Amino acid sequence: MRRRRAKFGWVLLVGAYAASVFWFLTRAEPVIQRRDVTIYFAHWQIERGPPDGINAAIRRYEELNPRVHVVQLQIPGATIYPQWMRSNLAGETGPDLMEWGAWLPGQKDIPARYFAPLTAELAKPNPYNVGTSQEKIPWQDTFHDKLLAPKRDSPDPGQIYGVNITESTLRLFCNVELMKEILGRVVVPKNFDDLRKILAQVQDFSRRTGRTVHGLAGSRDTTRAVAQSVFVAPLLGVNQRLDDGGTLYLYNRQVLAAYLAGRWRYSEPAVRAGLQLVRETTNAMKPGFIQLRRDDAMIEFLRGQALFFFYGTWDATSLRRLASFKIQPMKLMQAMPDDPEVGRYVLGQGGEGIGETSLAMYLNKASRHPAEALDFLKFLTSVPGQQLFTDASLWLPAVNGAVVPEEIRNFRDYQEGISFGQAPYDMIGTEVSMNWDRNFYQLSGENGSAEKFAAAMDAAMPAAIREDLKAELRATLVLVKPQDPVIVGWAGLAGDKARIRREESEAAQTMSEGLALQMKLQLEQAK
Amino acid sequence: MLVWPLVVAGAVAPAGPDRAWSALADNRPQDVLRQIRRDADSRAHRLAWAAARIGAQPATDASMREAEAVLAELESGTDELAAEAAYLRARIYQLHLNTPDFAQAARLYAELAGRQPGSHWAQLGLVKLGLLKLYLLPDLTDPGADRLAAAEALLPRIHEPLLRRDLELQIGQAGIVLHQPQARFLPHLIAAVEAGGITGNAREDLMVQIGVLSERAGDWARAREYFERYLAEYPTNVRAFTIREKLAEVKRRLAREGGA
Repeated sequence: MRRRRAKFGWVLLVGAYAASVFWFLTRAEPVIQRRDVTIYFAHWQIERGPPDGINAAIRRYEELNPRVHVVQLQIPGATIYPQWMRSNLAGETGPDLMEWGAWLPGQKDIPARYFAPLTAELAKPNPYNVGTSQEKIPWQDTFHDKLLAPKRDSPDPGQIYGVNITESTLRLFCNVELMKEILGRVVVPKNFDDLRKILAQVQDFSRRTGRTVHGLAGSRDTTRAVAQSVFVAPLLGVNQRLDDGGTLYLYNRQVLAAYLAGRWRYSEPAVRAGLQLVRETTNAMKPGFIQLRRDDAMIEFLRGQALFFFYGTWDATSLRRLASFKIQPMKLMQAMPDDPEVGRYVLGQGGEGIGETSLAMYLNKASRHPAEALDFLKFLTSVPGQQLFTDASLWLPAVNGAVVPEEIRNFRDYQEGISFGQAPYDMIGTEVSMNWDRNFYQLSGENGSAEKFAAAMDAAMPAAIREDLKAELRATLVLVKPQDPVIVGWAGLAGDKARIRREESEAAQTMSEGLALQMKLQLEQAK
Repeated sequence: MLVWPLVVAGAVAPAGPDRAWSALADNRPQDVLRQIRRDADSRAHRLAWAAARIGAQPATDASMREAEAVLAELESGTDELAAEAAYLRARIYQLHLNTPDFAQAARLYAELAGRQPGSHWAQLGLVKLGLLKLYLLPDLTDPGADRLAAAEALLPRIHEPLLRRDLELQIGQAGIVLHQPQARFLPHLIAAVEAGGITGNAREDLMVQIGVLSERAGDWARAREYFERYLAEYPTNVRAFTIREKLAEVKRRLAREGGA
């Protein structure tokens, strides 16, 4: 008995030793770093593709810069990333480069508090573009959209805090084999009415064969994307009516304020027409879709239970690698003036713009190696860096000059037309979005209707919109107030850099203050 | 060796003001409060302390009163530091108290501009005074107030081009939200963009605005000028399609009216 116990002990000891040797050789960090500088690059794009693309760029960068080691941190998004980001930034333990998005709830103050503005750097050419078509061009202008979103989402209207790594748009991913089975051939919808007819044929096919097949893979997330795409066509006239300033672009706060001023309602005919289109598309999803998430819709599509999966091109690589069938990306065309249902409200062809660059990376103010981190960011967004990224990830490059791989070339085939930017009637703030989700059952399904949903929204909106506008005002003031000591700081320092930063901060603060006062005025006028 | 006892005791050696300015510029007011005492010997240090007190969290009325007491003492001089202190004091009343006192802020800005009109801080104060007059003073119960005129009256007193530009822009934007006649506010938007230095989305918005508002007013030549400039600067922006269409229409009108 004693001998057996001793033998077991030895086995345990040897096993533990072997496991620790394995761990040490394969997983552990080296005791002595071989490179002088390690920078950390954190993001939540853990889909198939981006990690490979970023790794490809890192490998090349480390060849060019033997002093520097770049570590890619992949943090799951949505629920974990925001808390992880906030706690690390507050504790000054955050990575050198971090992804951030303006839509992350409760995180609007992050850039002004924790990130360094890149405006001055963006005005200079990117040194890694020497010998490429983008040589001598200011870094900012090498981006396909000239950094539309980082400019729009900047806490200071004149500053740019982030740079984007990729470009994305929304596409209708079609199961080609299933379409051939249902329609006998591949039909690319040229307008919304074509899509309407295809969805009706899918429903008919399902009824005839008894197979569970839906037109669109369903979930709450993908519904949002569908709604934003189809809702806007009948609203172009409303947008024009609200555009007092003539910017041809509506910001959230303008849509909120216009509602409070009684200048639009969900129940007005053009908005109801938009809702009707949302209803038509979501009726092609399976029952209960509003309880499901994006991954559920993807599984439904991959199982061949839905003809289309509508979401961002950021999912294209995952879909291609996971699907057992051929996938064809198509555009979700908006309703046109000749649409039999809503055409009378449509002014013309709605546009997709040129797509927006995305996956915005920011430089942590508390970075221990800001020069190296910025340098890596420049490489990653240079023509050679972006070529490595796009080839390995099959995600679009964000900059001009990189060759788009054949497989994803049609992602950049954007629909030209009228666009009012966000014009976000369904996404105009936290309270409004919650009410949209809460009441969505009144829009879709057999018992739903555009009229019922519009009535419910109009009942809830005055209070919800007031709350959202107040929140927007608070968020703006949170950014304005800390600028006073910052300006005093820059004023105390000598040199041109300090002078320029002071001037920029003063201008940006005055602009933000003006916006806050406009919102305050709009809230008070609508009392 | 000599400083070792101090380090062990946790004391911090006095820092030069540059360290404090850097910390403030980097939005780290707590670091300044750790470095500097409220009753530091130099006026620059005391100003940095007061600015840090304004920026540090939690921001309470009590902390603002502490900062104000220091600033009130500093503003008694006649140099740039005194002007800076007076400006910050007005900012406390305008922005940092839980219940702002806009009238008091306006009074302090006006006094500073009267006392040291050439100071940068007085000039910046006039921009902030302009904002108060556009939106807050008098309050909304006075519908007859010509808010734009009150802010416009400040423009000749602002000699720094960038600050003048900022107030021009604010008057222009306020004209839109206050539903003023276009002729009252469009010149201010034009003055702002022509002054230069506005970047980011603000510049894009302004270029489009001037073109579209000119088009609405039937000023085809100016509309064409700004649409063409916009397309040259932002050929691929989401608004480019609409602007190309508008430009074509404006050119047709100009040709028809012989203004091409």
